[in-house]
Amino acid sequence: MSELQTPKARKRGLVVQEMPGEILVYDTETNKAHCLNDSAAFVWTSCNGVNTVSDIVREFEANAKGTVTQDFVWLAIDQLSSKGLLETKIEPKFKGKSRRDVLKTIGLVSVAALPIIASLAAPQSALAATSCNCSRDSECNLVNQVCPTMMCANRGMTPAFTCTG
Amino acid sequence: MQYDPDQDEDEVFDEFRWSTIYRATQQKKIVEAFRLFRSDGIEPVLFKGWAIARAFPETVSRISSDTDLAVSSAEFRRAEAIRTSPAGRKLVIDLHNEFSRHDSLEWETLFARCETTEIDGETIRILRPEDHLRVVCVHWLIDGAQYREKLWDIYYLVANRPKDFDWQMCLDEVESRRRRWIVCAIGLAAKYFGLDLSGTPISNAAETLPKWLIDRVEKEWASEMKLEPLDAHFRNPRKFLLQLKKRTPPNPIAATVDVGGSFDSRLRLHYQLHSFGRRGLASIRRSISYNRP
Repeated sequence: MSELQTPKARKRGLVVQEMPGEILVYDTETNKAHCLNDSAAFVWTSCNGVNTVSDIVREFEANAKGTVTQDFVWLAIDQLSSKGLLETKIEPKFKGKSRRDVLKTIGLVSVAALPIIASLAAPQSALAATSCNCSRDSECNLVNQVCPTMMCANRGMTPAFTCTG
Repeated sequence: MQYDPDQDEDEVFDEFRWSTIYRATQQKKIVEAFRLFRSDGIEPVLFKGWAIARAFPETVSRISSDTDLAVSSAEFRRAEAIRTSPAGRKLVIDLHNEFSRHDSLEWETLFARCETTEIDGETIRILRPEDHLRVVCVHWLIDGAQYREKLWDIYYLVANRPKDFDWQMCLDEVESRRRRWIVCAIGLAAKYFGLDLSGTPISNAAETLPKWLIDRVEKEWASEMKLEPLDAHFRNPRKFLLQLKKRTPPNPIAATVDVGGSFDSRLRLHYQLHSFGRRGLASIRRSISYNRP
C-alpha cells in the first residue's frame, strides 16, 4: 500500500448535488445513489490526482475540520474506491478487517465525524409508482426475452430496454 | 448518519435525499437530450416526467425512468436515429411523433405556445400547463387508467396549476368528447384523492362520472396484472396467454379513447371491437414478426 498514492475523484457519469453538510451522488453507470457525509465529501473533493493521503490530512486540519490521522482518510478512500467514486480502484487499506477492527485502528485520535458513504435506497413509494420493482437485471422478467443482449436501462424503475447487441 | 460497526455497509432510507438526487439526475439527462437533438437542428418538446414532477411537493418522489420528448413529424425519422444512437440510448428517451396519440390540436399550435425554462443554461421547451394537463389526462386514459398512483400526476397538475391557468384553453379548444375524457380524468382525481375543484368550471366533475368508468377504474386498480408488451412474453407461453387474456376484450377505457368514442355512450363493446381491429391484431402480428427466427 503506497502512501504516495494520489487518488483522483471520478467525475464521468456522476451527478453531484451539494447539500448542507453532505454531498449526494448519483452514478448513472450503475444507477446507484450515495450520500457522503461532510468528512467523506471533503476527502473526495480533495482527491484531485495530486494530493497524497498526507496532503489530504493536512488540508482536513487546515480547514478546521478536526484532527485526523492517515487511517481516517484511508477509511474514506477505501469506501470511495469500493463505491466506484474514484477514477481507478485502489487496493483497500483495511482489507480483511471488520469494521470494529477498523474503528479500533482509527481510535479516538481522530475526533472528526468518521467518513461515511451510505447507499441511498429508493423509497418504496417511488418503487410503487413504477411498473417494475426490479433492482437488478436478474429480477426482471422482460430482460433477455426479446433480444439476448438486451439489458434493462432502469433497474428499479419502469423498464426501458437497451439492446447492446 | 452514524457509522455502524456491525454492518458491512451503510444504507440510508430517506425519500427527500433520494428524490433530490434523482431529480438532479433527470435534469442532467434532459439537458443532454436537448443538446443532442439540437446538434442536429431538431427542436424537441418535453412533457410528462420531469415536467410533471415540478408540480409535485419536494418531499414526494415522482419517478420517471425515461425522458418523453415530442418532435414534429418532419423531424421524427432523424430524431429516431439520434434516439437509437449510442449517445441517445444512454439517455433513455421515449420519442413521440408530435402529440398525435394524445391530443387533437395541431403540433404547430402546441409548439408555438410552449413555455420555456432554463436548466444548466439550456433552454428547455415544455408544453404549456393547459395543454400538458390535457395530454397527461389522455395518456393516463390510453393506458386504461391501470395505475392508481399515476392519477396523482393529474391531481398535482391541477392542484398546483399556475394562477393564470386558462381552463377555456385547456378544455374548450378541443372536441366535446375529448373534453369529457379530460373532465372525467380530473373528476376521478377529485373522487379518489380529494382534489379540490371549487372555483373551477368543472367543480362537479366528480359527481358526473359515468358509472361504468368508476367500476372499470376500480377493477383495474384491484387487478395485479397490468398490461405488458406482448413482445416481451412471446417465448413464455403462459405469460403470453395471460397477456392475451388481459387484452380480450380490450380495456373499455383505453378502447373508447383510442377510437375517439364517447364516455357517455351506453355501450362499450363497439369501441372495444373497433380498437381491437385497429391495434390488437397489429400488435399480435408485430409480436410474431419480431420474434420470428
